[in-house]
Amino acid sequence: MKKFTAIALSLLLVLFASPLFGSGSKEAAPAASDGTVTITWWAFPTFGQDPGKPAGSYEAELVKAFEAANPTIKVKLETIDFTSGPQKLTAAIEGGTAPDVLFDAPGRIIEYGRNGKLVKLDDLFTASYKSDVGNADLLAACSDGASYWMYPISASPFYMGINKEMWEKAGALQYVNLEGDRTWTTDDFIKAMEALGKAGNIGISVYCGGQGGDQGTRALVSNLYGATIANKENTRYTMNSTEGAKALQLLKDLADKEYIDAGLSIAAAEELQLFAQQQISATICWGTSNAKNYATNAFTQVSVPFPSNDGVPSLEYLVNGFCVFDNKDAARAEAAKKFITFISDDAVWGPKNVVQTGAFPVRSSFGDLYPGNPEYNLLASWTKYYGGYYNTMPGFAAMRTEWWNMLQYVFTGEKTVAKALADYDKNANAVFAK
Amino acid sequence: MLKQRLNLYRAIMMLVLIIISLLFIFPFYWIITGAFKIQKVAIQMPPQWFPTEPTFANFTELFLNPALAWFLNSVFMSLASMLLVCLTSAMAGYVLAKKQFSGRAIVFAVIIAAMALPKQVVLVPLVRIMNSIGMYNTAWAVILPAVGWPFGVFLMKQFAQTVPTEILDAARIDGSNEWMTFVRIVTPIIKPAYGALAIFTFISTWNDYFLQLVMLQSRSKLTIALGVATLQAEMATNYGVIMAGAALGALPIVTIFLLFQKYFASGITMGAVKG
Amino acid sequence: MESKTNKYGVSHAIQRQIDRTSYLFLLPMLIFFLGFVIIPMGMGIFTSFFDYTMSSFRFIGLKNYLDLFSDPKFLRSFWNTFVIVVVSVPSVTIFSLWVASLIYDKNAWVTSTFRGVFYLPVVTGTVPVVVVWKWIFDKYAGILNYVLVSLGVIEKNIAWLGNKDTAIWCILVILFTTSIGQPIVLYISSLANIDNSMLEAAEVDGASNLRTFWQIKWPSILPTTLYVVVITTINSFQCFALIQLLTSGGPVYSTSTIMYYLYDNAFSLYRYGYANAMGVLLAIVIGLFSILQFKSIKSNVEY
Repeated sequence: MKKFTAIALSLLLVLFASPLFGSGSKEAAPAASDGTVTITWWAFPTFGQDPGKPAGSYEAELVKAFEAANPTIKVKLETIDFTSGPQKLTAAIEGGTAPDVLFDAPGRIIEYGRNGKLVKLDDLFTASYKSDVGNADLLAACSDGASYWMYPISASPFYMGINKEMWEKAGALQYVNLEGDRTWTTDDFIKAMEALGKAGNIGISVYCGGQGGDQGTRALVSNLYGATIANKENTRYTMNSTEGAKALQLLKDLADKEYIDAGLSIAAAEELQLFAQQQISATICWGTSNAKNYATNAFTQVSVPFPSNDGVPSLEYLVNGFCVFDNKDAARAEAAKKFITFISDDAVWGPKNVVQTGAFPVRSSFGDLYPGNPEYNLLASWTKYYGGYYNTMPGFAAMRTEWWNMLQYVFTGEKTVAKALADYDKNANAVFAK
Repeated sequence: MLKQRLNLYRAIMMLVLIIISLLFIFPFYWIITGAFKIQKVAIQMPPQWFPTEPTFANFTELFLNPALAWFLNSVFMSLASMLLVCLTSAMAGYVLAKKQFSGRAIVFAVIIAAMALPKQVVLVPLVRIMNSIGMYNTAWAVILPAVGWPFGVFLMKQFAQTVPTEILDAARIDGSNEWMTFVRIVTPIIKPAYGALAIFTFISTWNDYFLQLVMLQSRSKLTIALGVATLQAEMATNYGVIMAGAALGALPIVTIFLLFQKYFASGITMGAVKG
Repeated sequence: MESKTNKYGVSHAIQRQIDRTSYLFLLPMLIFFLGFVIIPMGMGIFTSFFDYTMSSFRFIGLKNYLDLFSDPKFLRSFWNTFVIVVVSVPSVTIFSLWVASLIYDKNAWVTSTFRGVFYLPVVTGTVPVVVVWKWIFDKYAGILNYVLVSLGVIEKNIAWLGNKDTAIWCILVILFTTSIGQPIVLYISSLANIDNSMLEAAEVDGASNLRTFWQIKWPSILPTTLYVVVITTINSFQCFALIQLLTSGGPVYSTSTIMYYLYDNAFSLYRYGYANAMGVLLAIVIGLFSILQFKSIKSNVEY
């Protein structure tokens, strides 16, 4: 009996001690005897795929090229999606099995960096690199103010896409501006929605069933009457304003008249499908990579910026980039850094990868990667409309949840616009109260 | 008169039941037929009640993903949990029923108490434990907690109590050791309980979406349930492909069920009566 | 002599041997049970007293628990969970009893066909069932809207899952279809086991159907009923996949359950300690329910 107690107790101890009181870092996979290092790469679907290829096909090609150039490093690829991917990342970080490299955007990456889960990338941001990027906002998006956590590869604006034929038929096309920068006003937007609605179409779907692609709804709401998501110093979320309330009230009224749809059970992925299937006349989650993934011959997709009161939009933009998780293994961290610089900077693969993200290079030395493409030239010129970048603010994750729930409260009428905004303000800014 | 009215009443009730049954079959029918509809047809209104131009395109697209691996993962996890649960539960249930060992009351009480607890309570710590023993993101992260759950022990204990003590004593006098007694005498007597527990464990592991969701990450290591959920996240309303995945996940179990319905029914009943 | 035997009347030497073999038999099960149930449970309880997030691990006593009761989202989720239990338990129990009593005495083919039909959603699997229902409920491409509009029941398409009044009912309907399979199987066998001679005697006496049911059938199916109530309660408390895949708890938390809110806090908001406190609370609630139900089983039924 004593023996059994001893065995049981020691088993208990082994199981109990390590997970709870251990540092939570995973036992470092020791370098294989032949000196090869294996790193894991998790990729959100930021690289587009060639038609008919499943998720991860392009990434696999890229890994092959890197391994050929660096025979001592092996890369294990995992593809994740935007719906359950974020939770999987959390579980992996908590479980101590975080990947070495993650391809994502600043929102989550800076949060991980701030929480001490990442390897600092300051050494990659040399003076010559910074001058090549030459854009202070972009560089700021890669850091939490103290250290650089994300190595960027490409950037592109978020905007709207409209179904030209549908708008034409409903007599709404006259309200959008298809000349020059294509900027248009909120009044035109309202008229267009009315025309579409009266013709039996659904203008847009303000999807708010989850957090996927929620930047589109934030861009729409903030542009309509010039509200801002955050203040200039990035120290407070500021949607609770007259302008914000006015924009939400407008959308609520349009939804009540059924000119637009309150997408209470859908997120961006569904909204884009509805657009591609011509069930809604415009998408508010358009961007270069979505334009590629949802390309169709069935109708003409036209990119337009978000409508604004004064006709000068403030666009949100996506910055694609990589971070390296701190898995307490210098060899793996080094290999991971080598890998991300290969992806972003390699003479052949760097520009190719930028194109595959469907966005614009962060390095000006890459030049014009889309020569002779007027659509891309137009999109590139929208850089001047880029607004402030708030995705790196503290409490960003919590703010997002508050955001789409706030939209739900407004559209269901569960709360008045004023009340919904006040609650959002309180909860989203709780992080600054501490 | 009374009899006639009663018959009419019964006929109406049967009719209602048949209509409700059709509603129950419909989702399954919709999965199978939807799997053969191209996207354009899948979302058209009015809907196509039966695919007039059946296509395998959805399956082609489905198998661009490691769908076969997902399916086999599900099979492996369910089978492994089933075997381990049956073995460990039978051994434990037998001694709990038939041996007056020290601490028996305490062990049994703890098992009963734990049975009522929701698995999800242990979620976050379980992630850490699985990581610390290097099993996170492997099939074992799903199998081991399933084996730890003590429902099976309770079931087996109830059954083992019906084994006559005289037979066990006789075996001991004949010089059979405990292990041989368990294998040769107890096991055949509680065979029906094995069947019940096996079916129960297989289905519950197959359907344990929550644990799979938290424990598995790699695309190649997903189960068919998780794979279909992932497809839904990626493809949103591309229903044809999603239904193809759902059909792949559902058909094998449904077929097994239809073939062995009798055993399922008796297994389920036994699990309950004794449980 | 006396000192060498224990309360079972067995000598200490033999008792030691019994203990040794017994624990050997128990060992495989105990390892899994301790490692993957008891220890994580202990850790869960322990960390529920901590401000435990991605970057902090700080003892805060009962604060997580106190916060729960002033968190409107948690209270809403708690309420929804309660509604799901209160609606689904009686409806599942009554419906399955009704179905079973209609078919248990028909010929074997009829009985097994119907039994198979109602058990179908269980073997189809939760996720396949959920994704097909998502399609059925789809505002634009869903067949439910098409049928109801064609029949003139509703005027225009409804976003069933996006409406705060209908979403929870969608969840309840799906939960219902996946919950009644097992109860029907149980009731069929339980009804078929009722002593026929008693039923015949009642018929000879000219007892009404209703009286036969309450006086003869009901007492014999009571144990089954209690079992059905227990498993349906536990299943309803743990409703998760439906919510995660269909509504993400929305709109406006109208379908959020404790289980879903726990998952959301742990994995979307990195609030592990808070999530664990929720888990412990849920365990206590289910525990209380189970004790009540086990008690009533014991007092009503001889096993």
